[in-house]
Amino acid sequence: MRQTLTLIITKVAAGASRISRRGGGGALPGLLAEKLDPKLASRLSAQLSHGVILVTGTNGKTTTTKLIAAELEAHGERVLTNRSGSNLRRGVISSLIDASNLSGEIDATIGLFEVDEAWLRFVAADLQPDKIVVLNLFRDQLDRYGELDTLAGLIGDGIASTKAKIYLNADDPLVASLSKYAARSDLVNYFGVEGLPAKSTRRQVTPVDSDRCPVCKTELVFSRIFYSHIGHYSCPNGDFSRPQPEVSLTHVNESSDESSDFTAAITGKRYDFQLQLPGSYNLYNALAAIAVGYGHGIAIADLQTSINTTEAAFGRVERITIGNKTLLLLLIKNPAGFTQVLETFLSSKMKANILIIINDNLADGRDVSWLWDVPLEILSSTQPNIISSGIRATELTLRLKYAGIDSRSIEDLSSSLNALLDEIPDGSMGYILPTYTAMIAIRQELSKRTDVPKMKL
Amino acid sequence: MNTIIIAHLYPREMNIYGDLGNIIALTRRLEWRGYAVEVRSVEVGKFFDFSKVDIIFGGGGQDSGQLIVGTDLLIYGEVLRNLADSGMPMLLICGLYQLFGNKFVTNNNQIIKGIDVFNITTIASDTRMIGNIVIESSFGRLVGFENHSGQTQLGVNQLPLGKVKHGFGNNSTRKHEGAVRNNAIGCYLHGPVLPKNPKLADALILAALKRKYGIAELLKLDDSIELRAADVASTRS
Repeated sequence: MRQTLTLIITKVAAGASRISRRGGGGALPGLLAEKLDPKLASRLSAQLSHGVILVTGTNGKTTTTKLIAAELEAHGERVLTNRSGSNLRRGVISSLIDASNLSGEIDATIGLFEVDEAWLRFVAADLQPDKIVVLNLFRDQLDRYGELDTLAGLIGDGIASTKAKIYLNADDPLVASLSKYAARSDLVNYFGVEGLPAKSTRRQVTPVDSDRCPVCKTELVFSRIFYSHIGHYSCPNGDFSRPQPEVSLTHVNESSDESSDFTAAITGKRYDFQLQLPGSYNLYNALAAIAVGYGHGIAIADLQTSINTTEAAFGRVERITIGNKTLLLLLIKNPAGFTQVLETFLSSKMKANILIIINDNLADGRDVSWLWDVPLEILSSTQPNIISSGIRATELTLRLKYAGIDSRSIEDLSSSLNALLDEIPDGSMGYILPTYTAMIAIRQELSKRTDVPKMKL
Repeated sequence: MNTIIIAHLYPREMNIYGDLGNIIALTRRLEWRGYAVEVRSVEVGKFFDFSKVDIIFGGGGQDSGQLIVGTDLLIYGEVLRNLADSGMPMLLICGLYQLFGNKFVTNNNQIIKGIDVFNITTIASDTRMIGNIVIESSFGRLVGFENHSGQTQLGVNQLPLGKVKHGFGNNSTRKHEGAVRNNAIGCYLHGPVLPKNPKLADALILAALKRKYGIAELLKLDDSIELRAADVASTRS
């Protein structure tokens, strides 16, 4: 009875919120349910006959969730999932309420949720997932979460409250060390990269997010670094070393702005994939999705088809055409992600036309100091034509000045977009790099000029 | 070419929230005036010769980093106090500001001894003081972003860097921010502080050039972009 009442109240609230356009109906139902019936999420999710999968980590949650959803759907599952903007506990609960009827019945066979790193422990305790994926841990809005070590401990608590199989990035030392929280050692699975053109093990002063042994805190020795602190490592005291992954990338055969062809070894046998996403960071997302799909008993041939045909999540790598000009929309959220975008798309392009939009709203992170942790200097030899926009356009222009790059600040979004379009030669491409709320705003601006796929929020 | 040497204290452990931007700002503003810059890293467990450097900088870090660094820093306590008295320009942000004080008491009541360059004591608290901050100082208005849970109290005769106009500062009650001893400055201003506050950056640079080369005045630079960025930052609540 309490459940039905809660469902009625929360669904009415969702409807009202949608009509008043206050929150898109997103978090409110979950927020109410947390108060009215704290066990609701557990009961609703218990009906998902093929269980629940949770995906967490600083970067790549949305893309990985999208790849796994495609695999599961092709396998005949009816997948219940959440939107990228609703990955706190209340967002997950809202998705469950939204999918259920008033008797609390859900027409889905499996739940697949991306979960914010700091909230994983609550969602895991509620939903008792069968599988938990941890992609990576980078510095991201530390103003929200404090410190990486603390955050890893919180994720560990979440894992420890379940009997889930866990899928860990072998190449991120802090993530790999979460294996100790698994209920049993045979529940631990790793994915990782064996062969990728390694970056020099350059020891520059740019912040390395976690390069200390998770056990004894001594500096780890890296034999290869793929990006940031992701690579092959071992503790000089022998306290910790990179585990052997069951799903591993053996080499990249071809990569472009649009896709990456790679070979992966799955428990020893090799298979080819054509991922429709660029950048080494997306290779890890694909490996995670392959590992989970394989663990779910999906045939490898089917996994290949799903991986080869799934497109990027909204705003992650989005291609938009206006007349005979093409725009590539690339979300930037934190130093690691911004650096990856620079290295993948821009570091080898001469005279690229780029619009970078920096907002400092709550969802972007109020603190814009992270721009100074991004090695924008790598663009200085390519003579880019950069327009800075958004609330903190001037901060970016200042950062670029100190990187030896001239740029123009145009705070108004519409004018900055016009200026970019004017600069792009006919038949050519331009780049738009927005923070989270800037992405929502610029997509709206773009939709006045061309057809833009609706973003689900 | 004349060279200025910057010591970067423990960049591996204490390098957070864009503090590296302070090194970038010092470097560029010296290069634009025709000086070469060399940055030397101070590392845990490796002896460092501070007598060879002209500016000392240290930033903030995670608590785990602070524990590792605290012990190592004690070796240099006397050297750094003497250098501060002799007018060496120093800038310490957040975590290293705290360790340049008398002591830092962590959340688990663990005491990390400081090196007494500043007469300040810091005690960790449960409230995190986060947000944009504006202070008024002898370098004029300074803008930054603070993010700390440590409550810092000034000891007897310890001068603050400035008065808080917006934000918290040293602690959540007293409305003062930072500490100064000659040309050594400690504060909670991330942001990073130097790019958006060129007057402060130039004060450190001038102090270094005076000590090393007897220079009395700096070449003026066009700071219009710096000041515009500072204006915008000062309006963000």
